[in-house]
Amino acid sequence: MPKITVDGKTIECKDKQVILEACKDNGIQIPHYCYHPGLSVVASCRICLVEVEGVPKLVPACQTPIRDGMVVNTNSPKAVANQKQVMEYLLTSHPLDCPVCDQAGECYLQDYSYEYGRAEPRFEEEKVKNPKKDVGDNILLYSDRCIMCTRCVRFTREVSGTSELFVDGRGAREEIQIFPGRPLNNPLAGNVVDICPVGALLDKNFLFKQRVWLLKSTPSISPVDAGGENIWVDHNEGKIYRCRPRYNADVNQWWISDETRYAWKAVSDGNRLVAAKKAQYSSQVETDWQKAADQAYTDLKNLAADSPGTLYALLSPMMACEEAYLLGKLIRSLDPQAVLVIGPVPQGEQQVFRNSITGKETFVIQGEKVPNANGVRKVIELLGGPSATYEELVKAEKPELKKLKGGWIVGGYLKDWVGKEQPALFKKGYRAVQDILPNSLVNSADVVIPGAAWTEKDGCWVNFKGIAQVFSKAVPAPEGVVSEAEVYHYLLRLPGAYSAAAVRAEIGEPVSAAKIPDADAPEPAMEFVEL
Amino acid sequence: MKQEDIILVEEPQLTLSDGFYLPQVFIGLGTTMKHMWKTIRPSGDIVVQYPEERREDRPVDEGGMLRPTYRGVHRLNKDMEGRPNCVACFMCSTACPAKCIHIEAGESPWPDREKYPVKFDIDELRCIYCGMCEEACPCDAIELTSIYKLVGTSRQEMILDKEKLLEIYDQTIDHEPM
Repeated sequence: MPKITVDGKTIECKDKQVILEACKDNGIQIPHYCYHPGLSVVASCRICLVEVEGVPKLVPACQTPIRDGMVVNTNSPKAVANQKQVMEYLLTSHPLDCPVCDQAGECYLQDYSYEYGRAEPRFEEEKVKNPKKDVGDNILLYSDRCIMCTRCVRFTREVSGTSELFVDGRGAREEIQIFPGRPLNNPLAGNVVDICPVGALLDKNFLFKQRVWLLKSTPSISPVDAGGENIWVDHNEGKIYRCRPRYNADVNQWWISDETRYAWKAVSDGNRLVAAKKAQYSSQVETDWQKAADQAYTDLKNLAADSPGTLYALLSPMMACEEAYLLGKLIRSLDPQAVLVIGPVPQGEQQVFRNSITGKETFVIQGEKVPNANGVRKVIELLGGPSATYEELVKAEKPELKKLKGGWIVGGYLKDWVGKEQPALFKKGYRAVQDILPNSLVNSADVVIPGAAWTEKDGCWVNFKGIAQVFSKAVPAPEGVVSEAEVYHYLLRLPGAYSAAAVRAEIGEPVSAAKIPDADAPEPAMEFVEL
Repeated sequence: MKQEDIILVEEPQLTLSDGFYLPQVFIGLGTTMKHMWKTIRPSGDIVVQYPEERREDRPVDEGGMLRPTYRGVHRLNKDMEGRPNCVACFMCSTACPAKCIHIEAGESPWPDREKYPVKFDIDELRCIYCGMCEEACPCDAIELTSIYKLVGTSRQEMILDKEKLLEIYDQTIDHEPM
């Protein structure tokens, strides 16, 4: 392992690392704007320049590979003078509008101005004023705040491969632009907002909504596809404001799709089911969830007592593994021959993104549009006994499916999932339904229990690769709503309060290996990315 | 709930004199007597016979009110064109130790301004009148006035909205300039 000395401290580094990454791994901060570990290196912002012994000029830390025995100075007079100059130069054309800028609080320019800049400005001339530009359906560009780090330009070229953004003009007139009639609307476009080190690229959906220092972040997982992209859910006072990507080297690296980014909107609208209902004289009356659950339990029990093998449970692939497991146990406790059916698994188009220069695959949006089909299949396999797919339930050709009379149906999809081709059992027979959004099945069910969205409960999902990932409760569920698992916990008369971790341990591998990510843990040390 | 967030509080033990109650009653009355003497002795504390007499009418060294630094009901300052100075930066609500300021920001209807408060509510009952909001404000938009008479018939009425706060500006600007 090569060793280098930084500011008199000897640190160990990996082969092929650059100075900046080696320092970052060892807790030494070097300021940087244009460098991003997921993008190519341009060394254009010049604030990371450091002094290396034996080299007459300052060298960019983001671009210079380490050499065994190298001696680096990040705070020598020469390096500090450069940092101050770069900061002052950037701020000559940067408006002082932090109070109205959404980036304030997570802005590199603010942080570095505080750490490396000078207290008093010397620039007295009129600053450049540039109106904001609408560059895409979700993105605004404030050109006067831009520091020309070109991270966004490199992102559209190297990750999304769509090259919508480019640098227009030279020198003081340089600015980020889109081509006429080609807005920044690719399915990964939202990531440019996250990588922008200043407030130049902002999300229209988050604009002026909340200041970032008031937000609390909870680690979570994307609910929109089987990729299992890691996200942070940013919320304040029980309300979600945005989702950001969470670094995971094995799954999504630094990026998420826009579908993931805005998935929370589906569950924070006013249409959510909030009241438990039960059928009474051919209409539905409101009740509380315990009464509704008890009603469903006794009705299903009576059905099974008359003739075994008549019950089924529809396990939605939106459910957490723990919930699917508990519901499976619940229905089998009523009827040992109950059929476990996996809910519909909608398939979309798989989208592959490539670097427009090298053609290397950079990001994939999975075609399977549910997060946990894999996990629910594993749980059904684990519980054994009769099982079926949703298509088989629709056709109802198997002899054991013909006998079915009633069941517990779980939805939880982010859009209407009861299509035209629905099983005959959704129209007749006994139906206890748990769902989050209204649909035709909910309106005609015998018992309706509102469910919690993924941001309102703990659980784990298994992605298409078989990686089990935990998501945590970020915001409280609407009043009168409890998570699915708590309903099963109540009906199974299990002792104590429901704990997702305990159920995970009971299920065993691979789910039990999933750990709750620590919100305070720093991003894991990065490998050198060859692009 | 995390284990480290739980604080177990033990009930204080009663001493013998606490147990008999009467000694504690007299100790309490002693405090009352002490304060009574402080006010009625010839060189005693200054007493203002409110509401016949008001602090703002007295000189400052005789217990009068120092208007420029008095921390009373808030106001929202207006600019030359009568628009609120506030840019909805949330600095005041962040600095507020009582968490009594609730702002909803929006895109401003004026071309020269980016952001403005769509809603700006101050819960005057929760407020502790510390003046941190005034100190935090980068636009000199929120200020505490010398108004201390704050009357309402419901809690809802004591939550002052943007219109009310701008109205207080109109009421106070003549004798309390920005």
